[in-house]
Amino acid sequence: MVSFIQTRALKKIYYLGDQRVEALKGVDLDIPSSDFVVFMGHSGSGKTTLVSTIGGLTKPTEGTVSIDGVDIWRLNDQELSVLRNRKIGFVFQSFSLLSTLNVLNNVVMPVIFNKNGRRDADISRERALSILESLDMKKKLESYPSELSGGEQRRVAIARALINNPEIILADEPTGELDIRTEQEVIDIFRMINTEYKKTIIVVSHSLTWLECAKTVVIMKDGLLYRDVADPIEALMGKVCKT
Amino acid sequence: MTILKFAVLDLMRRPKKSGLIVFAIAISVALLSSLSIVSSSATSTILEVVSKTGHTLTVRPVITAGIDEADKSSLQNLTISDVIFGKYIPESAVQEIGRIYDKAILEGWERKGGLVSNPGIPITSLVPPTWAPRLYAKAVVDGREAIVTGIDISKEYFVRFWWTLSSGEWPENVNVDVKNVDPKIGAMYIMGHNGQVTVAKPKSRVDEQGKTIYNEGNHSYSSETSDDKLRDSAHGHGATDEYRDDAYLGGAYAAARGLKAGDTVMVASRQFRVMGVLDETNSADDYMVFIPLLTAQRLFHKEGYISMLSVRAMCPNCPVGDAMVELNRNITGITAVSQLDVAGLQFDFFNMLYRFLLAVVVATIAVGIFSIFNIVAGSLYARAREIGLLKAVGASRFQLFRIFLYEHLIIGIVAGLTGFAAGVGMAHIMNAFLGIGAVVRVEGIVLWHALALGIICSLLAIYYPAYKLSGIRITEIFRTQWEV
Repeated sequence: MVSFIQTRALKKIYYLGDQRVEALKGVDLDIPSSDFVVFMGHSGSGKTTLVSTIGGLTKPTEGTVSIDGVDIWRLNDQELSVLRNRKIGFVFQSFSLLSTLNVLNNVVMPVIFNKNGRRDADISRERALSILESLDMKKKLESYPSELSGGEQRRVAIARALINNPEIILADEPTGELDIRTEQEVIDIFRMINTEYKKTIIVVSHSLTWLECAKTVVIMKDGLLYRDVADPIEALMGKVCKT
Repeated sequence: MTILKFAVLDLMRRPKKSGLIVFAIAISVALLSSLSIVSSSATSTILEVVSKTGHTLTVRPVITAGIDEADKSSLQNLTISDVIFGKYIPESAVQEIGRIYDKAILEGWERKGGLVSNPGIPITSLVPPTWAPRLYAKAVVDGREAIVTGIDISKEYFVRFWWTLSSGEWPENVNVDVKNVDPKIGAMYIMGHNGQVTVAKPKSRVDEQGKTIYNEGNHSYSSETSDDKLRDSAHGHGATDEYRDDAYLGGAYAAARGLKAGDTVMVASRQFRVMGVLDETNSADDYMVFIPLLTAQRLFHKEGYISMLSVRAMCPNCPVGDAMVELNRNITGITAVSQLDVAGLQFDFFNMLYRFLLAVVVATIAVGIFSIFNIVAGSLYARAREIGLLKAVGASRFQLFRIFLYEHLIIGIVAGLTGFAAGVGMAHIMNAFLGIGAVVRVEGIVLWHALALGIICSLLAIYYPAYKLSGIRITEIFRTQWEV
């Protein structure tokens, strides 16, 4: 049976000048629906490349990525855009909000790229207000990103990721640069999204705080996958066994 | 929110960068608009003068060093009213001038393909021309120096058929029909080559209550039925003038001095009654005080002399150019100038100047577009992460392209309008500083051209960077965030 998210023999090779960088060295991965996966590993281990490949952002050199049975890298640009718009919500560490738009418009922004966006404008607005309220951001609807704290910006980014009701939330370092208290608030939000909305959460992070809510922890090193380790902290320290 | 609204909001939040691009494009638009306006205005002005002067020949004394300067205050360098002081033609020479003129016209007709007796050439083409002599003098009028011009009003009226009065009346001997024409209607007497006097009226006029009144069709009066006196007095060289104290004033002069018909003016200590004030004609005439020729000759002690002679051929195809050549060849001390030839030379000169300026402007715009391209590319690459974000949330390449398209359509429209407004201002400045002397007219088509140019410049500048960026891989944009 095909998993909700599945990668097979996934390879990614970059060329930085004359230097050949093998970011992914043949990754096989299965993520069931409604899972909460946290990718951890040292910088340069390939975790962001893997997640961006799954998210339809980075085309792999070899191998396949399928979501809900569809090989996403066989889709054309238009179809891939639709997939990113409908099925995946992204939360980035920085540059996640457009400085030219206020909070509400940042959240509803993905809807304008939806084919039915204009028709569903009112519904989207209501949905945005509801999500922002659940994230305690309703009082900042008219604020611009520069007027928000780091934690507030992250909440708005999460709200935007949820606006099209996607099945997958991909987050790259969503708690980077945040203090411990705010980090915990953001983690709690992701936990709530996973448990209440049944979304599949995929997070890339260096922070061990995520371990407490992750259903699956995936450790990466040198473009290879290590998973189901008994002690992730030990694994991150380098004492891991290849599965 | 729609993609268009998104584009508008994006522009509004970046006023400085958007303004810089608008400014750069507007300069190009303004340059071309101003050139276009000046060009069309100058062409229109030349054509207007040609349509007024038609087949008119001007005979002046030869200008040599030491002669009083020509007055250019009207900014009109194509006009039959260029003024020369201090040099005169003896009236005794007028007959010889007329003889050579008539002979040259006949010979010209023969060269055109037939003898006078040939039925192919209508006899009406040989209607005698109208000769209008003038005597120019600088004199003190009401305590200030002014140009005083002695004219034979009956002849002058027919040479300058575009003259209309803003107040007052023409003298009775000009034409009995003339005094019955309301000058406000703008009626124009046209002496056709078939010997008919045609009163051309505009299709409508606005009365004092602001109502539009539609006139009936043009009225023609045959030469037989209208007045033979008119032809007798207006044609040929034998018309007479009286020693009178009537004066007519140029429109600009009267306006500057606050004079109107019925007032009196003191010309060289002699009192004249203002019989009429001319409508402005954008020529030197607007600044003159006209008095009867005989009176002027006596007043300024120039009996038997004139300053210039205007000849209006009364047929549309008369070989006036041939007459000009013959007069210049056979009579020393005079210069005959055909207004059509002057216009032709001016057209040639202006076309050459226009082409030169156009080449300079096009080169400037080419450099400008390159600069705009750099500004736009810089601005877009600075937005690379924003573009990456838009792609990540589902914007397709086409949708991204639409955002750029809308933004630059708006920029192009604003730049086009701004450039057009600046171009109108620049056209006035160019016209004044380059001494072109045109009446600046702004035609609606220039606005559309300015808008089109603004949009084209804007879209040209955006196309390549937008195309590249809309297709860029997202991870390239987020490289600093998305680790390898």
